Amino acid sequence: MIQEQYRGTRQWSRNRQAIAIVVWISFLTAAVGTMVFFAFFDPVELSGTFDEDLDIGRDAGYAAGFFFFWVLTAICSAVTAWLVRTAPKRDAKNR
Amino acid sequence: MSDRPDKEQAQVAPMFASAEKIYPREIKGRFESLSKLATISLLGLFYAVPWLMWDGRQAFLFDLPARKFYLLGLTLWPQDFPYLAMLLVIAALTLFFFTALLGRVWCGFACPQTVWTEAFIWMEQWTEGTRKQRMKLDKAPWSWNKLRRKGSKQLLWLSFSLWTGFTFVGYFTPIHELGPQLVTVSAGGWATFWTLFYGFATYGNAGYMREQVCKYMCPYARFQSAMFDEDTLIISYDEIRGEPRGGRKRTADKEALGLGDCIDCTLCVQVCPTGIDIRDGLQYECIACAACIDACDSVMDKMNYPRGLVRYSTERSIKGTDSKVLRPRIFVYAALLSVLFIGLITSMATRTPIILDVIRDRNSLYRELPGDMIENIYTLKVINQRNDEHSFHLAIEGVPGITLDGVPEVIVVAGGGVLSLPVRARAHRDNAYGIMEITFSVADVDDASLAMSETSRFLGPTP
Repeated sequence: MIQEQYRGTRQWSRNRQAIAIVVWISFLTAAVGTMVFFAFFDPVELSGTFDEDLDIGRDAGYAAGFFFFWVLTAICSAVTAWLVRTAPKRDAKNR
Repeated sequence: MSDRPDKEQAQVAPMFASAEKIYPREIKGRFESLSKLATISLLGLFYAVPWLMWDGRQAFLFDLPARKFYLLGLTLWPQDFPYLAMLLVIAALTLFFFTALLGRVWCGFACPQTVWTEAFIWMEQWTEGTRKQRMKLDKAPWSWNKLRRKGSKQLLWLSFSLWTGFTFVGYFTPIHELGPQLVTVSAGGWATFWTLFYGFATYGNAGYMREQVCKYMCPYARFQSAMFDEDTLIISYDEIRGEPRGGRKRTADKEALGLGDCIDCTLCVQVCPTGIDIRDGLQYECIACAACIDACDSVMDKMNYPRGLVRYSTERSIKGTDSKVLRPRIFVYAALLSVLFIGLITSMATRTPIILDVIRDRNSLYRELPGDMIENIYTLKVINQRNDEHSFHLAIEGVPGITLDGVPEVIVVAGGGVLSLPVRARAHRDNAYGIMEITFSVADVDDASLAMSETSRFLGPTP
């Protein structure tokens, strides 16, 4: 058997696949979102509108924005993946 | 065909042999040289570009803290975002173009995942040896030799990853200052964090996840087939010529044995970084690295058979029908790409390097002054995108007899500077009533063709 002898057959479990996809795709989406968002809004000016005493640098502003987007997209992605995977199978068969 | 592995079993088997590592076998050949060249030049560019200088500053610097992008002599501002959007559209279309023409050539030669994985595999080979030696080493119990080899691999991997993270951050923070700062642990917290973050991502992706990223995580790998057609150049096994496959002596007469050209040496499977058998046809795991072509060609040479049993070919021509690589689709993509590209270059070359923003004071509608004058207050923002200082004339029109108060004859804006200018516009109440549209304009003192205007509203009493 070729497969056993020579072929690497490394395969991730379905959970591992799902986690990797969720983390990676939400990361990409968050990166694009951060880029577009901060092209239009300057974190320094933004923080001033919330609280005038709040003085965060742009570095921290970008990072906070990015992680905010990442958490948001990851939640969305994870819940979607979970709902799709746990959907009742019966519906599909009866259709 | 009798000894061909059962397809059903081939797909089920991996479930039981989970998490087995792929040890791609090393191979020399035309495509291997090409891939080496691509890896070295792309990585070389990535690591060298941040060190280039232009006019005393970093030639390519995406200075996020200052919200300015420097590209050689050009300085881009957040207001130039449309250029970035256009660039992304061009990048996407370029990918479509090359996919339709050459299949997954991006995956095989240019994708960062492939390129860094390749570099990490080289380091693995330097420290742990060939495929056979690596397999043996992994099976062997821990020994001084194993520790030394594995340890030096990790050392190479980790230093390369950290250097990668440092270079990446160097695109966003001046790299000449960042280097010493990181060494003396005096760099900003975020610069250090992103260096480690990107370094860790490189280490994980290129050292461990490798082809799994392409198989499970990459969206392009899943939808690229939509861009294929029957005339796309793909790596394929010539089934008509190869089958029935089977082992034989080099001197054997294959016709007498009733065999095709494939000697079933499985080299093409051993060299595959994603662990597939190209002879099963086009599979989405195939990243088109062409290692199997090199492997098969070397075997064909030994057997004195013509090369190309596995080769770049189109679906149509492998079936034996006529195939045209240069087809209308390719020309349409090429035409669209050239139009967009020329558009981008022209608009960048002819852009006016001045930006004028007018913000009307929101706290008051208007003010009545003695002498029946009406006053409105604005804040003007004049941005000079060029790198040297420039002087401008400011003008206003839209209401008969309108004048500006508190504005110097000539306003001076430093190179790459933003001037915030509060101005009071005044007009006689006979002329100013209700809501009127006014236009502010700035023009360069030395070159009147460099001008920019912006409209706003002037409010007066209701007539």
